[in-house]
Amino acid sequence: MNTDDIEIAGVGMHPFGRFTGSSLKDLNRVACVSALLDAGIGVHDVDAVYAANAMAGLLQGQEMIRGQSVMREIGIERVPVTNVENACASGSTALRQAVLAIRAGSAEVVLVAGVEKMFVEDRARTLAALESAGDLDVVSGIGLQFTAVYGMRLRRLIAAGRLTVDDLVAVSVKSHANGSRNPYAQHREVVSPAEVLGSRPIADPLTLLMCSSICDGAAAVVLARRGAVPPSGRPAVRIRASQAATGYTTTGDEPSLTDTCASAAYAEAGLGPEDVDVAEVHDAMAPAELIAYEQLGFCRPGDAGALLGSGATRIEGALPVNPSGGLSSRGHAVGATGLAQIAELTWQLRGEATGRQAHRPRVGLAHNNGGWLEGESAVSCVHLLERTTPWD
Amino acid sequence: MGLTAALNVPVTAKRPRDNGNALTGSRCGRCGAASFPARAVCHRCGTAAPAAHTFAATGVLLTHTTVHVPRPGLPAPYTLGQVALDDDGPVVFGRVTTDGAEPATGMAVRVRVGAEGATPRYWFEPDRFTG
Repeated sequence: MNTDDIEIAGVGMHPFGRFTGSSLKDLNRVACVSALLDAGIGVHDVDAVYAANAMAGLLQGQEMIRGQSVMREIGIERVPVTNVENACASGSTALRQAVLAIRAGSAEVVLVAGVEKMFVEDRARTLAALESAGDLDVVSGIGLQFTAVYGMRLRRLIAAGRLTVDDLVAVSVKSHANGSRNPYAQHREVVSPAEVLGSRPIADPLTLLMCSSICDGAAAVVLARRGAVPPSGRPAVRIRASQAATGYTTTGDEPSLTDTCASAAYAEAGLGPEDVDVAEVHDAMAPAELIAYEQLGFCRPGDAGALLGSGATRIEGALPVNPSGGLSSRGHAVGATGLAQIAELTWQLRGEATGRQAHRPRVGLAHNNGGWLEGESAVSCVHLLERTTPWD
Repeated sequence: MGLTAALNVPVTAKRPRDNGNALTGSRCGRCGAASFPARAVCHRCGTAAPAAHTFAATGVLLTHTTVHVPRPGLPAPYTLGQVALDDDGPVVFGRVTTDGAEPATGMAVRVRVGAEGATPRYWFEPDRFTG
């Protein structure tokens, strides 16, 4: 460990869910102040801000200076605030910008914040805003939306014999069970396989209880060069890898974007999938977690159902995946999601994830994708975190 | 070689997207990569101004889903598919209509092009000649 290390000095969240009476400023305030308190610093200790949001332009009309407008509420002015939009991967993209800023030597302490307020008076406006995560010049008018994109990806794997509908149901049950143990989660009810299968169809094979839903929330992370923030006395967590990649024009047969991005992250860290002890993966629809198992190298192609069935990815297993409940149960407040993943992993690595704590994890992986092109995500970000303080 | 030709390609609104019977995009003269709609630079090899190209009217349905959530102006259910156009054509999304029959992965489909200004402009149907 050296002074080039970038540590997660603090994390905080506003719970995910429906918060009709709370503004973007309110959601952001709770997440950011919580993260600053967690880091033990004040607002004037922050050198720079990266502010993630995806939909406030369309939903709240705050198309410009989204970050500046919410940060002034908590007394953060003058320092550079950079707004980041990368659809569902806005939060992780902002985190990566903060990593680069510290590596470049232009900042020592950076606040990374993500906020989203998706509940508005007219649900159709939210759905239309989500639809803008594709290249509208190409797909406008087709009726393509996130659920359909995931439904098609899963159908292809089912048709190829690589997944079963039972697998889709089982991972959704796991997601809800984890969410029920997370006080920050939007969906906190345990569901049965029959309830998942019997919930209303959304975009087959997906049913309602397999899907993330409209969500409000915020999450924040304080990143700092090692030594820039006085030690808290708690276990230290540092960034081991920070990678991002853009989707590509598919012919239908290439390695996935996630595969490519994860390989780069493993190479950066000098780690492999076998080193990962806990993961938060991008499951906008719970069954996407199964696809992520294969793309992140947690199992071989075709073995995702078997890995799930083994129990290894449950909180009590050897490789807990989405202990928070993931996007589908913790919730998917789009611009905040990538940072909610980092908050969860930080709590897990410190041993502070009360009620859902994995067994002594050392390395955590965060996988956050966004948007879609013809069959691929438009964005993928993979981060690897490491607890540097020994568990004993 | 060079990118200069990409400065002079038609604006996107002037690039044809179909010929009335099939979809039109671009195919790179150097590496053969196809894209729909046409692009100014080849995404695979970086060559400028790939030539306009009309793709096969037939293709294979890679996957599909039926959407059950209606939207304003978009009654549900409706079926969407991902299609690989024949003869090394591009992979495209589109609406799939089957007259009530269940679409099947791997099914041969044929593109149908609607009237000028129609939404959606194109969709896919089972190809009764080969399917």
